[in-house]
Amino acid sequence: MKEFNTIRTRANRLDSPDKATGEAIYVDDISKPGMLFGALLQSPHAHAKVLSIDTTEAKKLPGVKAVLTSKDVGTIPYGVSPARYDETVFVTDKVRYVGDEIAAVAATSLDIALKAVELIRVEYEILPAVFTVEDAIKEDAPQIHEKYKGNLTAEVHQEFGDVEKGLKESDIIKTTTVKNKRQDGAFLEMQGCIAEFDRRGNLTLTSGTQTPHYVQRTVAMVLGMDIGKVRVKKPYLGAGFGIKAAANPMELACCFLAKETNKPVKMNYTREQVFMFCRARHQFTHTITTGAKKDGTLVALKHECTLDGGAYSSFGIATVYYAGSLLAGPYKLPNMSYEGFRVYNNKPACGAQRGHGAVIARAAFEQQLDMIAEELGIDPMELRIKNMMSRGDTTCNDLNMSSFGMSECIDAVREGSDWDRKKGNMPIGKGIGMACGFFVSGAGFPIYRSDTYHGTVMIKLTEDGGTALVYTASAEIGQGSDTAFAMIAAEALGVPLSAIRLASGDTDMGVDLGAYSSRQTLMTGHATKDAAEHVKSQVLAVLAEKLDTPVEDMDIKNGFIEFKNQTLDFSELRTTYIKEHRGWIDNPDSEKLTFNEASRIAYLEKGTIVGTGKYKPVFLGGKYKGAAVGTSPAYGCSAQVAEVTVDMGTGQVIIDNVTDAHDCGKAINMTSVEGQMEGSVSMGMGEAMHEEVIFDDKGNVLNNDLAEYKLVTAMDMPKVKSIVVESDEPNGPFGAKEVGEGAIMPTIPAILNAVYDAAGVRIYELPLTPERVYTAIQEYKERKGAA
Amino acid sequence: MLLPEFELHEPVSIEDALKLKKKHGKDARLMAGGTDVLVLLKKKVIFTDTIISLLQIKELSQIKESGNEVVIGACATMAQLSKSSVIKEKFGALKSSCDNLGSHLIRNRATIGGNCCNASPAGDTMPSLMIYDAKVMIESTDGKREVSIKNFFKGPGVTDLAIHEILTGFKLPIPPKNSGAHYIQLGKRRSSEINVVNVGSFLEYDPDTKTIINSRIALGSVAATPIRAQKAEELIKGKPAKEDTFYTAGETARKEDCKPIDDFRGSAAYRQAMIGVLTKRTLQASFEQAQ
Repeated sequence: MKEFNTIRTRANRLDSPDKATGEAIYVDDISKPGMLFGALLQSPHAHAKVLSIDTTEAKKLPGVKAVLTSKDVGTIPYGVSPARYDETVFVTDKVRYVGDEIAAVAATSLDIALKAVELIRVEYEILPAVFTVEDAIKEDAPQIHEKYKGNLTAEVHQEFGDVEKGLKESDIIKTTTVKNKRQDGAFLEMQGCIAEFDRRGNLTLTSGTQTPHYVQRTVAMVLGMDIGKVRVKKPYLGAGFGIKAAANPMELACCFLAKETNKPVKMNYTREQVFMFCRARHQFTHTITTGAKKDGTLVALKHECTLDGGAYSSFGIATVYYAGSLLAGPYKLPNMSYEGFRVYNNKPACGAQRGHGAVIARAAFEQQLDMIAEELGIDPMELRIKNMMSRGDTTCNDLNMSSFGMSECIDAVREGSDWDRKKGNMPIGKGIGMACGFFVSGAGFPIYRSDTYHGTVMIKLTEDGGTALVYTASAEIGQGSDTAFAMIAAEALGVPLSAIRLASGDTDMGVDLGAYSSRQTLMTGHATKDAAEHVKSQVLAVLAEKLDTPVEDMDIKNGFIEFKNQTLDFSELRTTYIKEHRGWIDNPDSEKLTFNEASRIAYLEKGTIVGTGKYKPVFLGGKYKGAAVGTSPAYGCSAQVAEVTVDMGTGQVIIDNVTDAHDCGKAINMTSVEGQMEGSVSMGMGEAMHEEVIFDDKGNVLNNDLAEYKLVTAMDMPKVKSIVVESDEPNGPFGAKEVGEGAIMPTIPAILNAVYDAAGVRIYELPLTPERVYTAIQEYKERKGAA
Repeated sequence: MLLPEFELHEPVSIEDALKLKKKHGKDARLMAGGTDVLVLLKKKVIFTDTIISLLQIKELSQIKESGNEVVIGACATMAQLSKSSVIKEKFGALKSSCDNLGSHLIRNRATIGGNCCNASPAGDTMPSLMIYDAKVMIESTDGKREVSIKNFFKGPGVTDLAIHEILTGFKLPIPPKNSGAHYIQLGKRRSSEINVVNVGSFLEYDPDTKTIINSRIALGSVAATPIRAQKAEELIKGKPAKEDTFYTAGETARKEDCKPIDDFRGSAAYRQAMIGVLTKRTLQASFEQAQ
């Protein structure tokens, strides 16, 4: 087994001191001389023609420096995927949801800007609005986008194998329909940004984003600028969960306001605006039919799904594909068909959120597996193990499991939860349930199909020798990626973590697609390792020449140079180094040549030592339409066991314990991996138990704050036993792959299965509010009574 | 959304506060912890240019035991009540109400007077004050008066207080021997919750005959104000203190004493069903305590 010095430890995170002391700088902490404050005018109507916009009074208000509408900034379409650029910064002809952007104001204070917004007069002609999938697909439904008839953003029709035949050959067939509710990302930090032009026409946008690269590209496109003249910087970020993975209209409006006024402009969403903007998890309705043989072998899966998309596409095309493609694993499944429809309506747009597209499909399917297991009299764990893929297997839709510790995960939660003793032996009202899941470690292409590298990293050694500066455009959003890349750089270069300084989140540092799709550890990690190896090879090449020893006979470990020939005389190099530090009293006297000495010698020989690294996946397979959504260089996988108590009188569910195992390949930082696992459980629990965005009949969000949108609190959170299962991923840096999203996959179905075990009721609609569970229990009692 | 500007007065005596209230009349809003007033102002649900804070009036945050009653100042906070030894020992249901309201941060600010004056049908402390038969102490520049908590709430956000009056505190009689009380709140999560239903019960029984001498049942979130389940109370008076009786009380409370509505937190049908379950459970727990 390979030995590691830095990775696979519990190194302290680089950002801990700043965050623990409150010194971490977030967008809203930043102020610039002469800075103006921006505010948006957003539609109060869900669907209306805009007949006129009068900004006269707003412009007259003292302190107002600019008022912009689509007349001023143009109507260049943008969005997430070039195939569906269906947004403009400000609306042109009509508004499509409550919150659609109409105008923006910059003023000397936020108060004045907000007052000016109130002074803008807009004449609307109210149009009929639709708020549900059912209403939006009716033949005579109001059309939301001229270009996309029938209110369809995208539809998917896929079949792998022969599903009808598979179902005919099945001994047991289950069909269920499962639906969830629209989520909100509910990150702590609301979106915010500061845009600023310098006197040479270069734009810097400081923004709370997960994807500086995509924002840079969109800003340049919409403002009609060279990409090279747009710099996007991300300071510390209070999370994103997918919602901040694309440019938002506020960022674009802010750039236009800065351009117009020639002053820095700051804008922020309020919490209400975060709910209005949404872009979080869709509401899905999945109808799934699964066929299996008597011995539990899965044969076929027939799957239909509609997505309640909202007014714009956002990530919707990717979402509708992911909702189908990720059911092909982790079980061997020769036949699978999928019909997916992503539907527009007059609510805020949904987008990507942790476990993109796949979470509810997983919940529906894993619940069905338990139903099949029960009917066949097989333990749910056994049924899953029986069908489980293993390393090297490829799904019917071409997803290759290059490493796969799924069975190990099942074993770990089985033992960790004491499953064999508890299952079937718990009193009424107490239950235990399990589920599995897996997720991609990034995709084969950027969201705009291109041959670009997905990550480039630059490492420069300081000229004095000894410190490595790592520059990456990747996005630390709270998940710990900065620390992971510093650890990877230290490991690859052979120096202690303390010898690394890392800067990230700035488009000037290179290309990095950012924090989404669980891609950074694998992809940015590869580029970091590549850059560190490049630096190392340059230092060693100089030593080889100076000491007349082949490069193969030396290595760098723990900050020292290791020579195969241990008696090699390097005293001349040490003398040179010491001469470089005349007057210093702490000259090196170690038995081994230090990395500081070696890198200084390299600098003296070659000038500044800079290493570059890059990564993009090789072609990942799949020739069918949509193959790019699902194929990935590697897949992380999880198993979870949930234990619950159901109050049979009130329907209240308490999650007592969660045992969670995840295969993340080699864990770069053990503590960060566990953090992602626990965070996933918390988010999955919230969605399972009480989170839902609720609208009135006019398209207004009713619960647009964190009092009424019910996240999991510390009081609700059970004990989570996190077990890190490490496989060795051949396509990952040092064998690493994802954990950030795969870990959420089993949470909801494990809870659903545990509730069934406790109360005897299958629940097909989320969240599991006391009322929904109570109603199910009552219906069950009536059925039983009638029987 | 920003908090609008307002003038803040911080009188240090009740007299000064009453004078200010008289002077500004309906244009001024009284505030204690601010956990409701400031939120409503920010959300533009209420409007005012003048706020009179009562927090600097020391005597309003006292909890005093005198004779056979306890006097709780209007500005006593949830956290303070939760920790108070007399509340802990003699008014357990009120303590649970205070323990359950909002989160730690809110409990450090929110006051019992504020909770009642906000008069939300789902308010946490109100059912408990009702089952302990509290008297509401009210003052104005014209003098003092007391009103039973049962008659204090008039509608959502509406109370018996006149414009120039201030609620200064509550008098709670010390519960008799052989009595117990219990409060249950039901929401979707375990903290920072707004109740879907909340119920408090008080029960006094005769240990010799094992019958119920007296009971008070208060229901929250099922009417325009918290209400007493009078039909259920009458029905069980003199009946044996046992599970069947408590079940009957729950059924009566559910069918005859409440008329909940549907809203986005829960349906009327569920609320009504839960009144049955929680009335029974709180009576049962009260009885166990009383023994």
